[in-house]
Amino acid sequence: MTSSVTRMSSLLQKPKTPGFLRSIFGSPNTGPFLGWIRARAAKDDYASGGTRKPNEIDFWRGFALITIFINHIPGIYFENFTHRHLGVSDAAELFVFLAGWSLRLVVNSQYKVITFPRLLLHLGGRAWAIYMAQLLITMLALAIVAAAAIILDAPLLLEWNNAAAAFQDPVQAHVGFVLLTYQLGYFDILPLYVVLMGLAPLIAIVDYYARWALLPLSLAVYLTAVFFEINLATWPVEGRWFFNPLAWQLMFVLGFMIAKPNPVGNWIKNHRWTARALVVPVLAVGAWAGLTEWAYEVGDQQGWLFFTIDKTFLTPARIIHLLSLAIMFGGAFTILHGYARPLTRLFSMLGRNSLNVFCVGSILSLTGQYVRFAFSGGLWIDFLIVTLGILVLSLTGWVSEWRQRLRAP
Amino acid sequence: MGVRMASTLARTVTGACLVAGLSLLLAGASLAQDAAAPAADAARSAGSLSPQCEVPNSDIATPAPLPTTATLLENSKKVRILAIGSSSTYGIGATVRGKAYPAQLEQILEKTLSGVEVKIINRGVSGEIASATAERLKSEVALTHPNLVLWQLGTNDALSGISPEDFENTVSAAVRRLKKKNIDVVLVGLQYTPKYARDENYTGIRDALRRVAAAENVLYIRRYDAMQFLAKTRANLQMLAGDEFHLNDLGYQCMAEHVAHAVTANLFIRRPQGLPAKVN
Repeated sequence: MTSSVTRMSSLLQKPKTPGFLRSIFGSPNTGPFLGWIRARAAKDDYASGGTRKPNEIDFWRGFALITIFINHIPGIYFENFTHRHLGVSDAAELFVFLAGWSLRLVVNSQYKVITFPRLLLHLGGRAWAIYMAQLLITMLALAIVAAAAIILDAPLLLEWNNAAAAFQDPVQAHVGFVLLTYQLGYFDILPLYVVLMGLAPLIAIVDYYARWALLPLSLAVYLTAVFFEINLATWPVEGRWFFNPLAWQLMFVLGFMIAKPNPVGNWIKNHRWTARALVVPVLAVGAWAGLTEWAYEVGDQQGWLFFTIDKTFLTPARIIHLLSLAIMFGGAFTILHGYARPLTRLFSMLGRNSLNVFCVGSILSLTGQYVRFAFSGGLWIDFLIVTLGILVLSLTGWVSEWRQRLRAP
Repeated sequence: MGVRMASTLARTVTGACLVAGLSLLLAGASLAQDAAAPAADAARSAGSLSPQCEVPNSDIATPAPLPTTATLLENSKKVRILAIGSSSTYGIGATVRGKAYPAQLEQILEKTLSGVEVKIINRGVSGEIASATAERLKSEVALTHPNLVLWQLGTNDALSGISPEDFENTVSAAVRRLKKKNIDVVLVGLQYTPKYARDENYTGIRDALRRVAAAENVLYIRRYDAMQFLAKTRANLQMLAGDEFHLNDLGYQCMAEHVAHAVTANLFIRRPQGLPAKVN
């Protein structure tokens, strides 16, 4: 669906290289202020030469990326305004859900053009790219950690974010990095993503030959993992994966399944306000639980995990909350795109380049932690970190697309 | 597959390290260790401290009951201990992983409480602040089923500029949750380091931790005081690793001994009084 739109727009529009500000605010006559008034009337949108037009999926991906960037600087003032405090799920669920969703778009668009083996090659290549990205940002992170310890003359900083083993047990740690069993704090999403993209060809195959079996299979793996508390081990630091792939694959598969037109999705699209009204109670309870940091105390009998709010095992409460959010805010993009076009353009641009933006964001968050340490926090420092961070993330998205255009014939 | 490979590798590498470490020890690489080893064994069997770790009892811990563990011991059962917290739990600065404090503690406790099987589950994450550990504790406790939680905390909060009030609220909420589940709690306090001795936030966090322990009536290992005492009275012994912040092996040994000493002392406190140890 999106791909045909993209192709159409790239045919209609003469590819041009927009300046950084223009890529966000549009051309002068639909600038930030006039644009707010004219935007709704404007029929054609500004697609920055050859790239996808702003769309719902990219927009929310961008939103998730900015949220993750802020959430990964613990203690920063603006973290209090991220949506995880108003519910029981956070940007990670959204990100993985949308990753599944965009897998559907990739699979659907590639089926027509290339053969099935090529699809597998394509997805495998994507997993490999993410794996390399993980190794690269881990290396950069270690250098930042070490540099901070040297510059600030504080050896203790060497151990922030679970980095201690890299410096104290380098023999084991290096093997662990390559095996993805040693994950620095906050650098634990991409290992999950590598596993999920590694599974993507399998998901695509099952979807192609036996669509009915995909969700039951995924659900069975999830239920088994949560019931029997199964998770992958980390090494050399004793522990378990922060994002349990056996549980999180369900979020990915859900995104993949829901992205395909289906009766439930159609009903929701046709009865938006009824559907929204139905999830209000869920979100209200979620908000209450989030605000009060509620945790249901269960015993440790088998299956207790189902009744808690646990991120590692992606417990049902978190899935239900994310799906409710999707129902509540699905379609909101159209309204936002009418009234706050610079925002939808910016977020969509970030979302279109999610891997690059995510990697730069991880490095920025880590740097932000040490900047806060060096200046002992403070509202102004926090403000500066967030503003500069979002600016650099935007530049990352813009430069990435500039490179893509240069590469295109 | 990767995981299995990793764990096999882990065993091999750990094994190699142990052999290397033992031969180092035999060769008498470290004067302090040489002097420490035989004395430590004698001390451990008696359940007291080896000479180089000796500190007045009042400087080690504030007494508090450990009802669940005491009951288990009376029945000579298995005790499961969850060691959670930041760097010192992971064992940074120790030349061999087996010398990290949880591993040492397991050995000391098994020797002291003969006939009892002590299992320590290590879930330390280096650099972690208390709020992150508290969050992790919620599920780690249910996943690992401990009878006793050893929570080493404070140093990273102090350095991250977490306010003592926030810290206090986080820790006391977490401690209350554990107590409600009949899990004994031992809080292991901040490191002593001359560099931060006059840091306001550092002392603020230390005092907050002391207040939580007193209010919740849980055992609190005053590591700061113990280390400070040792640093002042035994200046010739190096307790801190080369970076002057982390404990070296001897430091870990003392820390493990102090925790073991405090735990056993507080377990046996109940017996002379003839009170039946009951889990409420």
